Amino acid sequence: MIVAIVAVITFVLIHLAPGDPFSGVMDNPNVSEAVRQTLRAQYGFDRPLPEQFVKYVSALAHGELGWSFSHERPVREVLATALPNTLLLMAVALVGSFTLGILIALVQVARRGSATDHALSGISLLFISMPDFWLALLTLLAFAYWLPLFPVGGTIDPVMHEYKGFVGRIVDRLWHLALPALTLTALASAAVARYQRAALLDVLPADYIRTARLKGLSEREILRRHALRNALLPIITMIGLSFPALLTGTFFVEKIFSWQGMGYAVVNAIASRDYQLVMGGVIIGSIMVTLGSLLADLLYALADPRLRGQ
Amino acid sequence: MAAMKYAGLLCAIVAFGCVGTESSSTKSSGGTLAISVGGDPDVLIPSLVQSTVGVEITDMIFDRLADIGDSINILNDKGFTPRLADRWTWAADSLSIAFHLNPKAKWHDGVPVRSNDVRFTIASTKDSTLGSPTASVITNIDSVSTPDSATAVYWFHARSPQQFYDAVYQLPIMPEHVWKGIPPASWRASEAAKNPVGSGQYRFVRWIPGAAVELVADTTNYRGAPKLSRLIWSIASDFQTALTRLLSGETDFIEQLRPENIAEVAKHPELRTKQNHALQYAFAQFNLRDPANNARPHPIFGNRELRRALTMATDRVKLVRSVYDTLALPALGPTVRAYQTTDPNLTQIPFDLPRARQILDSLGWRITSSDGMRARNGRPLEFTLSVPNSSKLRVQMAVLLQEQLRQAGVKVDVEQINYPVLLEKERKRAFDADIGTWSTQPSPGAVRGSWGTGGSRATSGNNYGSYENPVFDSYVDSAISAFDPAKRKALFTKAYETIIQDAPAIWLAEPIQTVAYHSRLQLAAMRPDAWWAHIPEWWIPEDKRIPRDNTPPSATPPAQSAGQKTP
Repeated sequence: MIVAIVAVITFVLIHLAPGDPFSGVMDNPNVSEAVRQTLRAQYGFDRPLPEQFVKYVSALAHGELGWSFSHERPVREVLATALPNTLLLMAVALVGSFTLGILIALVQVARRGSATDHALSGISLLFISMPDFWLALLTLLAFAYWLPLFPVGGTIDPVMHEYKGFVGRIVDRLWHLALPALTLTALASAAVARYQRAALLDVLPADYIRTARLKGLSEREILRRHALRNALLPIITMIGLSFPALLTGTFFVEKIFSWQGMGYAVVNAIASRDYQLVMGGVIIGSIMVTLGSLLADLLYALADPRLRGQ
Repeated sequence: MAAMKYAGLLCAIVAFGCVGTESSSTKSSGGTLAISVGGDPDVLIPSLVQSTVGVEITDMIFDRLADIGDSINILNDKGFTPRLADRWTWAADSLSIAFHLNPKAKWHDGVPVRSNDVRFTIASTKDSTLGSPTASVITNIDSVSTPDSATAVYWFHARSPQQFYDAVYQLPIMPEHVWKGIPPASWRASEAAKNPVGSGQYRFVRWIPGAAVELVADTTNYRGAPKLSRLIWSIASDFQTALTRLLSGETDFIEQLRPENIAEVAKHPELRTKQNHALQYAFAQFNLRDPANNARPHPIFGNRELRRALTMATDRVKLVRSVYDTLALPALGPTVRAYQTTDPNLTQIPFDLPRARQILDSLGWRITSSDGMRARNGRPLEFTLSVPNSSKLRVQMAVLLQEQLRQAGVKVDVEQINYPVLLEKERKRAFDADIGTWSTQPSPGAVRGSWGTGGSRATSGNNYGSYENPVFDSYVDSAISAFDPAKRKALFTKAYETIIQDAPAIWLAEPIQTVAYHSRLQLAAMRPDAWWAHIPEWWIPEDKRIPRDNTPPSATPPAQSAGQKTP
């Protein structure tokens, strides 16, 4: 239902935007209106909007996402190529950010009230407040230009990739993944760290923690074995809920790093008024977000035995 | 005086562009040229391609019957060099030209190039179901006949000074055996479009959308093997990323620097820059029709004297210098200096602010308020100047123009909008004024569509400002049909002077293309219409090659490689 509502709203909004799918490409004094009309007819853009909508929904019901005129390929194919790149980036960022965020929170709680705790809180706040595109640009400038450790963008080295062996190709891919993944990880880990710190501080006054202390366990053991386990529940929820934010962030980061994922494809499609690709991207995105929420519910139930019977 | 100065600069640029940079090093073949571009090609089909990147690539893959010379002469066949046609014969009445194909010419799949390929190329382009943008510029070609497999005869409707140019320049030849079985409306989506088979000096290897297009030298080409073994268009998401790839050494060449990039490029000793005249001009265009009702003249710009006053109030030299530094010259009119038909000393409306103020006063537009802005009968002298927000240069020009016109008491509201939205407004004639650019072809005749009455009255024609003057139309028509170069130039001069004095636009800038490239590359001359035309003659000395230069050309069969996924 959510996906259907998103699809309808997106269809209406993108067609309300002024401009023509062929305006950018056909900005040529030699292109006649007749040619523009022929092209509109070829792609069905000359039909009334309700007719286009019915046709689109009908195709969608048959699992067809339409045709991308800017890629000259079915939208299904474009997204099938792009989606693995986005999932790879998101997965690395998700694992990286939660690992890093939890570690930072543990350090902060272990040294709560100290200068380290305050400094890490400040840094987390800074990264949370930072726009993702801005950090992406800064990272690009710092590590690809001023200190050229990583490539400027792309998913592979377009010049040399095809000439590398299998391992070389994997390394090339990871080398290109580093900066976009680092950007997303830095942004998301800051939020995770703050949530995790708060969750840990919530459980520390609990009776079972006091009991553990009375048993003579070290503070490190208490944090790792008792506090962290119980403080993970809100973070598990956050995994699912961070999907929308991560996906949105991915869109901008992919665009800036020319990472050929779904965000890159959709942002370019918006610029070129490639209606059906935008629709396809939004639909897949909304499915991913919905699945993310479902995953959060399932993980929560898995982690908390009290919820399994409900 | 100013004209003399710019003429001098022009000569220096042309001279620089024509001087070869060859050294005494050996010109052995090999090396890779990685070109930074800010987007994918639209399509790799010669009769459909629109984007500059797409044209660059298709021009390497496909050959024409003959190629235009570096002087971009379009009169008759002067300066044209043989390509697929090794010679041609004019009919006595000039209504047909027989092209004799080079018997050694072959498509990249090994099939010989035959006259039926030529006939097919023209016939398919004229097919309305294809929707080719080239169709409108080959209307003088009636048909192509093929008396034998090695001879293609072009038949024309009428004699024209540029009929040879129309026949050979507009379209590279396409292989009939590849395209014949595909309905024209399905060409863009076809597998053939993803694996183009041509006859040029480079053959297609792969196109990884959003990443790269790769070509390799066709070592058995009928014109001989090119010097560079491999060409790669490295596709970035935008211009800035494309430039950063050049600066970081990932690529070797970028086709257009912006003024703000020059200092950054200068910090890299391994990079060089080179200037080349481009066929482009920028202008602030007035809508002469009322945006609310196109049947009526515009309440402000409908008046010729007022438009002249606005032009007079604009210091174009200062504006161009401020925005472009040395990367542009003040535009002469709706033309470019690279045309042989352009007189660089065209009479201009001079910058004269006091006179502009006088004219506005005399027209009844007087300063009535304390802010120094003019009004007439309670209506302020105010208009909206639209610019695409994606073009930093155009936005800068708009802001400077706003300030210059403010000094004459004219209020300009600068509106930065999305480019497709601006184009939509232009097509609907729903704008006051905007800053536009036209990229033209070697033929100056395109001015008829963009500034002539036909382009104004046709539904969504390209004369967005609706400038109409039968005198201008007449001069342009006469110039286009004139065979004598001197007479042609004189007629174009009269046409340009007519439109300049009518001031349907303020002619702002004529950009000079500035390319940046790695110093190991040895470039040849650059053509104003196509900097890439001589890429097959570019080379890299063996002692300057870097690892990517020595990579063996890919052996991946094109059919398996287009758009392939990589680990």
